Formats: sequence, C-alpha cells, structure tokens
Amino acid sequence: MFVPINTTINGKIYSVSAEAETSLLEFLRDVLELKGTKLCCNTGECGACTVIHNGKPINSCVTMAADANGAQITTVEGLADGDKLHPVQQAFIDTGAVQCGYCTPGFIMSVKALLDRTKKPTAADIEEAVSGNICRCTGYNKIVDAIHLAASKL
Amino acid sequence: MEYFEPKSIGDALSVLAKHGAEAKVIAGGTDVMVDIKFKEEPSALVNIKKISGLSGISESGGAIRIGALTTIREIETSSLIREKLPVLWEASHQFASLQVRNTATLGGNICRASPSGETLTPLLVLNATAICAFSDGERSEPFSSFFQGPGKSAVGAKGLLKEIEIPIPAAGSKGVYLKHAVRGAMDIAMVGVAVLLAANGSGVQEARIGLGAVAPTPVRAPKTEALLKGKPLTAALLKEAGTLSGSEASPISDQRSSAENRRWIVEALTRRGLAQTWKAATGKEVA
Repeated sequence: MFVPINTTINGKIYSVSAEAETSLLEFLRDVLELKGTKLCCNTGECGACTVIHNGKPINSCVTMAADANGAQITTVEGLADGDKLHPVQQAFIDTGAVQCGYCTPGFIMSVKALLDRTKKPTAADIEEAVSGNICRCTGYNKIVDAIHLAASKL
Repeated sequence: MEYFEPKSIGDALSVLAKHGAEAKVIAGGTDVMVDIKFKEEPSALVNIKKISGLSGISESGGAIRIGALTTIREIETSSLIREKLPVLWEASHQFASLQVRNTATLGGNICRASPSGETLTPLLVLNATAICAFSDGERSEPFSSFFQGPGKSAVGAKGLLKEIEIPIPAAGSKGVYLKHAVRGAMDIAMVGVAVLLAANGSGVQEARIGLGAVAPTPVRAPKTEALLKGKPLTAALLKEAGTLSGSEASPISDQRSSAENRRWIVEALTRRGLAQTWKAATGKEVA
C-alpha cells in the first residue's frame, strides 16, 4: 500500500508516494536518490544513517518514511553552501577525521545537531552526541578533535 | 501490507478489533521497523503517532503521568522526572543512543515487554500503573501484573496503552538503576537492577528491588525485600540480601551471558544498589 509523503528535505519540498513499510533511509536513498545518507547496520545501532528530523538527530533506517510527513529534514547534502563546506565538514577534513569515510555523513549530522544545541560542548556532551555513531576504522580521537575545531569556528 | 494512521484512540481500537493479532502497532519504530525488515511484515501496520493527547509528562495528585508516545529523550530531559523519579531518569539516560532516545517511546518500550527493557524495572519498583484503552472501556493494570511473558502484556493484540501513572515515592526514599552491559548504553542489558529504598530510625523502612533480563518478564525480588524490612543494613545483611536476590532470579543462558554469570551479577548489583541507596537515604555507609 502506497502512502503519500509531503516533506521538506534540505529546504526543498517533496511530494512523493512510497510503500508504507519504506524506511526514511530507503526513501532518501532509493526514492529521492539522495545517496549521502549511508545504509550500514539497518537496525538502529551504528548511526551511519543519521539525519536531522525537526531539529533532532535520528536513525533514518528505523524511522518510517511516513513520519517525514510535514517534517523538516536535513541530510548531509543540505549542509554545504554552494562550494563552501559547512564548518563541521571542513573540520573533519582539517583534522584528518575521515578514514574510509563511510561513517562520516552520520557523524557529521550528529555533530551538526550537537552544535545546534550548544555552542560550547563539554566532553560529556560530545560523548553523548556521538556514542550512537560507530567508526569501524576506530578513528575516534580525530573525530573528537574535529568537533572541538568545528565548535571553535561556529 | 495495509497501513493505518488513526487520529483517535477510538479509530485505532476499531482497526485493531478488525485486524487483531495480524496488526502491528508502531510508534517510534526503533523495534518494529527492524522486525519488518528482518523478521516478518505484518498484514497491517497501525501508526499511532497522529493520535493527539498521548504525549507529555504531568504531575497531579501526588502522581506523575507520562503519555505512551512520550519519547525516552523527553523523559531524560524532563526536570520533573529528574527531581521526582531519578530512578526512571537514570534508566532513560542509559537507554541506547541519542538517535534512538529521540524516537523511541516509553509506551513502545513497555509494550515490547522485553525482560531487558530499560525502563521496566524502574517502573516496577515505582509501583507504576498502566492505563490501557479497550473497545469496552479503559482499564488500569498495575505493573506487578502487566507483563505476561516475553513480548506479552495486558495490552494484548486489541488494546492500546494510553499512559503510565507513577505515584511519587515518599520524600527521603532513594532509587538507583544499575545496568550491566559490555558496551555501555548501546548494548542490551545482561542484567538490570533497580532499587528503591526508604529508611527510618530503626533501619530499612521499605526496599523494593526490580530485576531485569533474568526472567521471562521483569520481576521483583519479594523475599529479599521482606528480609530487609525493619533492619539496619549491616554488611552481613547486605551479603545475605544479595544471595537471596540471586536465588529469586530465573535467568537463561544466551549469547550475552550464561545463567550462572547472570545470577552472580544480580547478587553484585543488588548489593551495590542497596549500599548506594542506603547511603543516600541515611548518610551512612553499610557497616
């Protein structure tokens, strides 16, 4: 059964139908062809699919696409301003926080949401913000460096 | 798969009455979406998030009411919960990741009826009541009889959980939720223990102990609670209470832990929880 979905993604309005069981992740990647958000565990454990839904970071793989109805969603494609990367994206590059890169979009969305909540995150704030994101290359120290750098630039 | 977005409890109950056990209620989706992908797709999905009045935290008449659609993050960030029900706050703080807490609902965690559900042992020791809607009216079900087995609760296939009512514990009582897991909050608890303790001049006035992930449902440890009543918490009594609490658990062996190891952890966490709450309530170490 198809469900109509009217939603705003990265400031653009979409009106598309999708099968009721479609996850928000499948909707973004397979229906709208927005491939920046990554599919990894598909069970809400790893955070690679993190997007910002009405201001809050969520796992899009375990969210119904139908719950995007009427919502404001930001994905990693919505951060850069033209050719100018968002400070969080630039900080990940500048500190070498990207290894294989697969977890990076999810981390960046969690960090963007963190810095939207607080401009001066404590160590505990940072741990809370990204403990739902797993980096299989285990490059966590540089990711924390990137968060501090991004916070100082915002 | 049929899909429904009822706008009222009455509409939701009508859909459930028609589709019964073939229908699956979905709220946050953090468990149900995984089931749909990896286990079985239900013939009907009933998304209850559009029903108004099922979300929010309020206090009245010495009790706190939490709507079934309230997210775990809303509980974690509520100053009312942190002040009046710290044991529930602790469980919500140790609940998976921020992403999951932003979408998972209290009602979902309860209706999932997993023995390891993070909020369940705290609600059990808080003597919470589940208020459920059925086609023939509302019923209040105390948590002591709400859970019937893994995935089975008094809500059944045709009811809907509306809200949880939690009497505010007496001033001076102290609570703690201790979770044992290999990978912190993200991990499913190997064992979870909630303790709520009130003390008076002669010793333990009342101790309530809830055990998670060590029986088909979250359970209380009534023999241990009775043992402690009226006695000062000495080191000898603490040891005896731990051992007795372990004997009240009926754990299984699985990939997370052996049954024997789980029983030891119940003993250790019971001792730790009692010692912590005793100190918080009396200002004294266990002697």
